[in-house]
Amino acid sequence: MKWKKNDIIQYMEAKDFIDSVLIPLVPFQVSDDNTLPSSTFQSEVIQILANEIEKELTGRVLLTPPLHYLKSTNKDTEVSRLNQWVQDVKQQPFEHVFFLTFDSGWKKVEKELDGTLLWLPGSKSGNLQSAEMRAVIKDQVDQLGELIRSYWV
Amino acid sequence: MSEKKQQVSRRQFLNYTLTGVGGFMAAGMLMPMVRMAVDPVLKESGHGGLTNVSLAVEDITTEPQRIDWKIDQVDGWYESEVSRSAWVFKDENDEIQAFSPICKHLGCVVSWEGNESYPNEFFCPCHNGRYYKSGENVPGTPPLAPLDVYEQEVRDGMLFLGDAVPREEA
Ligand code: FES
Repeated sequence: MKWKKNDIIQYMEAKDFIDSVLIPLVPFQVSDDNTLPSSTFQSEVIQILANEIEKELTGRVLLTPPLHYLKSTNKDTEVSRLNQWVQDVKQQPFEHVFFLTFDSGWKKVEKELDGTLLWLPGSKSGNLQSAEMRAVIKDQVDQLGELIRSYWV
Repeated sequence: MSEKKQQVSRRQFLNYTLTGVGGFMAAGMLMPMVRMAVDPVLKESGHGGLTNVSLAVEDITTEPQRIDWKIDQVDGWYESEVSRSAWVFKDENDEIQAFSPICKHLGCVVSWEGNESYPNEFFCPCHNGRYYKSGENVPGTPPLAPLDVYEQEVRDGMLFLGDAVPREEA
């Protein structure tokens, strides 16, 4: 389910079936010219991945808006902010919380997160319309879907 | 080469060009009128056109294969390319079947033989929904309706698919 009214209404009628939440974690930093192209590119790709996963598993996964944070801030602050999100999410009958990110900074604090971190290394540039890129993304979506499903059984 | 070119006289050339331009202008004026006349009809039926999904009929086997294609869709605020998918195969009567992969329970994407325990069926990974090869839902699993069926047509040996429509309640 997407973070849209129509989907949410459907969610409210089928809460017991939609037991997983997917939260993309996306760094945001405008100040540094050097990282702007790569960080916006990665932000685009992670959204595409999240949307595609949602499409495949829409009947069981709610995709939330992404958590944005300054790349330069201390991850500890962000961990507590993220866990607050999770606390709120858990007021509803969700069983599984997944975080999706390219930012390896989360890997180091993985243990403190109230959910499952799906970290994958992302390329820094590329052509989103190219056939290779589409194939890579499709492959990643398949694998991530498989991974998520493995938590369901 | 150059001899052939000279066979078109200046007069002929002008004639051709003017006819071409005139026709083009006429078409430009007529098209919006035709559209205005035809559009409401199209809208009412809710049918988009059929799209060539780049699959030759001779490549369709009895084993369902997943086909993906794109269509342009205008949806309120957004005009976008949306992707569609279908499971396509030939049934025992040698007729082409094209099913929507969208689970009739809550909309996850089903796959052919997606679970080893259920061969020869479509399987939905979200809540173990199952469908027979005919697209009928297996009773006792979450889906309560058979998979939608795509409008289809074969032109020049290629498969064209349109909208996925729910089946009549049997
Ligand atoms: S969405 Fe397919 S079984 Fe629930």
